[in-house]
Amino acid sequence: MTVVLFKIALLLSFGMFFIPKNIKYIFGLSLHLILIAASTRWAWHVLNHDTLTIALGVTTWSGEITLVIDQLSAYFMLIINLICFCGVLYAGGYLKPYLPKKRSVFISLHLFSLLWLHGAMLLVISIQDGIAFLLAWELMSLFSFILVIFEAQKEATLKTGINYLLQMHLGFALIMLGFLIAANQTGELSFEGVRQFFSHSNNIPLFLVFFAGFGIKAGFIPFHSWLPRAHPAAPSHVSGIMSGVMIKMGIYGIFRISLLLQYDLKAIGIIVLAAGIVSGLLGVIMAIMQHDLKKLLAYHSIENIGIIGIGIGIGLLGKANGSSYLMVLGLGGALLHTLNHALFKSLLFFTAGNVFYSVHKINMDHLGGLAKNMRYTSIAFLIGALAISGIPPFNGFISEFLIYNGILNQMSDSVFSYSILSVVSLLSLVLIGGLCIYCFTKAFGLSFLGSRRQEHSHPVKEVPVIMLVPAFILIGCMLAIGLVPAFFVNQVAGVLQSLTHTTITIEPLLNSLKSISYVNITLIAVLVVIAALRAWQQSSVKVSEGPTWGCGYTAGDFRHQYTPTSYADSLRELADPVIHYKRVYKSFEENEIFPPPKTFHTESKDLVEEKTILSWVHLIVNHLPKAGIAQSGLINHYLIYPLLFLVLIGFLIVLNIL
Amino acid sequence: MLSLILILASAIYFPGVIVKTKAMFSGRKGPGILQPWHDIYRLLKKGSVYSTSSSFVFQIGAPIYLATVIVASLFIPFEENNAIFSFAGDFVFFAYVLGLGRFMLIVSALDVSSGFEGMGANREAFYSMLMEPAFFILLGSLALFTGYSSFHDIFANLHYNSYFSFIIAVIAGYVLANITLVETSRLPVDDPLTHLELTMVHEVMVLDHSGFDLGIIKIANNLKFILFSMLSANCLIPQSLNIWMRMGILLSMQVLFAAGIGWLESFRARNKMAMNAQYILSVNAVALILIFVVMIIKNKI
Repeated sequence: MTVVLFKIALLLSFGMFFIPKNIKYIFGLSLHLILIAASTRWAWHVLNHDTLTIALGVTTWSGEITLVIDQLSAYFMLIINLICFCGVLYAGGYLKPYLPKKRSVFISLHLFSLLWLHGAMLLVISIQDGIAFLLAWELMSLFSFILVIFEAQKEATLKTGINYLLQMHLGFALIMLGFLIAANQTGELSFEGVRQFFSHSNNIPLFLVFFAGFGIKAGFIPFHSWLPRAHPAAPSHVSGIMSGVMIKMGIYGIFRISLLLQYDLKAIGIIVLAAGIVSGLLGVIMAIMQHDLKKLLAYHSIENIGIIGIGIGIGLLGKANGSSYLMVLGLGGALLHTLNHALFKSLLFFTAGNVFYSVHKINMDHLGGLAKNMRYTSIAFLIGALAISGIPPFNGFISEFLIYNGILNQMSDSVFSYSILSVVSLLSLVLIGGLCIYCFTKAFGLSFLGSRRQEHSHPVKEVPVIMLVPAFILIGCMLAIGLVPAFFVNQVAGVLQSLTHTTITIEPLLNSLKSISYVNITLIAVLVVIAALRAWQQSSVKVSEGPTWGCGYTAGDFRHQYTPTSYADSLRELADPVIHYKRVYKSFEENEIFPPPKTFHTESKDLVEEKTILSWVHLIVNHLPKAGIAQSGLINHYLIYPLLFLVLIGFLIVLNIL
Repeated sequence: MLSLILILASAIYFPGVIVKTKAMFSGRKGPGILQPWHDIYRLLKKGSVYSTSSSFVFQIGAPIYLATVIVASLFIPFEENNAIFSFAGDFVFFAYVLGLGRFMLIVSALDVSSGFEGMGANREAFYSMLMEPAFFILLGSLALFTGYSSFHDIFANLHYNSYFSFIIAVIAGYVLANITLVETSRLPVDDPLTHLELTMVHEVMVLDHSGFDLGIIKIANNLKFILFSMLSANCLIPQSLNIWMRMGILLSMQVLFAAGIGWLESFRARNKMAMNAQYILSVNAVALILIFVVMIIKNKI
């Protein structure tokens, strides 16, 4: 029954192109709701009972597609449904200004792709067969490409989209290669084939192929360069869904593969841990240097993927050691952080979208003072910023706490290398946390607080309610995780327990988490008491408003505020090795008596991308024109080429090489 | 509960002792020991002036700052006497909840759109970001040494049956004292008495806070002092003594610590602003040395 509903929703989506413009959105939303209802029912069944196998009734050349939904799929399914629901709800408000401007077919295509992206992600996580998995994976990439280029009339957006599409296909090729290597040995093109391969061959090379393939989707450094381009170009509900759940499909893949590993867990754990540390640290350092709010958030996705990587690495090391408690701390922390990141990152993208919707600007140099006009948006952004910095009483703290506990637990292991690894991971996790606070005080403080840095041509107003509702749904979930962490961690541990077929006791952890809920409640209670005292005090004394204290200087105005550039300046030296940071200005000449107006701006370049990808591309592009000699334009030359080819083949056969 | 009473007791005289010491060294008679608290009491009764450019964030910043420090103080044990909250990994929560207060204070400073306060906020964010690793490495090495990861268990087992613990306790006490100075923005990182806004860190952030808000920020700062000095005292006081002796040592150690800060502030100049990052990193380096010492003691190397 639910399968039929699922298929009907996907089939009906073609109707999108044939209905009037004004009911397209409602139609799309109801189809999404059908998808959500069907898949949530599956996930619920799986979480409460057992793995579900459903025949989809669609046949490819590799046979009929069956959905195999286990606990891991169910867990990701719930995340996808929640974020897609919020994203689609948000789109209702965000797309409104575009409706009169865009042609009907573009709107249809956008909503159609949104639905199919949702459907494709649900398929990706519930298919075990290789070919069908790759098909679903490809669908996901294609439809997200269409979503990214919503504003394709801008050349930059289109270029970004093509860049995205190319990188996704590189990832696709690597994943396919991985499946083919496994199938070549075992004759089975599926995750089962990969498992068999792992049980009798060297695990590391194949894992690395998959890690690179899924890593491109997830955005591990150095495969990250599509993220800071695609997210700012895409409309905000799409960035929210892509950053919230689509990049998590890469994490899903890495998880799936990690669970199949049989040998060399230690080496692989170290590799993933190292990749996580590098992504986490470099991601957040690059984020601080950004001026574009959405680009900053995109770099933070890389950072959070890094934290998830650290969790997976610790978990795998725990598994290698045979310590199931450490495994739960690491892998469980990673799984929970996947959910947490989905929640707060989509919240942040939605609120950044609110800013763009009202101000039509997204560069922090042009924002400022929004908190007075957009109160609810700024509350939502503040909560998102606190949560992403891992600050209690919100959800980000809980997953980081699990990973911290894992690291501390591992530190007391008797082997020296493990202790050193844990010291390094402890240091980097702390630094990531500190830098994250640095970055988000900048992002929130300079775009929402103070006074505005630029006059806007229109009054800035709070966005319509429909764009705020998803934000507050997400905040509700975040608070729930922050206040009752034991419940959620227990669920995650249950998922891990069923996946690894081991019984795991996490009593000490649950006790800690219960104490955390008490402390969080105490924190809120203390705050309420202080706020009440303050309100009582303020009611009995004279409260007035005045200009900001200018330290004796009375002509200060908005231009004297700190800017994003100056805020990031303290970190310039630290960040220079990874992000080439250049100040562009003309200094005063010696005999310049009446200097003309001067400008100053800074530019930054992603050096990791430059060194690992672009330098090769430039090399190839520079040398390719030399091949143009062969293209002479003379027909007799072109006729010689096949002849030369035949002669070459003949030689090779004579020499017994072919 | 005992630790909370001790925190409150030492909070009464701690700021006064600093002021008194400084007055003594500069040849003045100085105000009474309770004068700082009297000033705060007066602030709490005053009216407030809010900047026209500030928003709701400015209003909630100071109360959240105080609330986080109060909650953090519930984690501090006094050796074998349990803190009110204690669980495995509680020092992570301790550090992050202080992070919440810091975050709110930084954004309230950015809310008044003053270049000076922006500068202070930026420095506070930068220095605390650099300082955080030292705290975690320190507690990490204590956790490694004792095999536990909550404040209470760490301090209860630190001096159990090992002479090495005193080496560790001394280095740990030194690192914690430095962390205290950075966290509370005292010399040599920041001079609270400087009158040049360009060179201030913490004080310049709260320039626009007035009345009740300023009062609770000052309360929170004083409490923060005690929290960190309680931690170093916990490292240093041997457990073999009886409870009254230890309480006596603790209270007199706090006096000594406060007098030490007063002495430091009377005779030492503030670091050059650009040197602060190096100074903080050197504290981190000492913390890293500590963890290697612990590894050697634990036969890991």
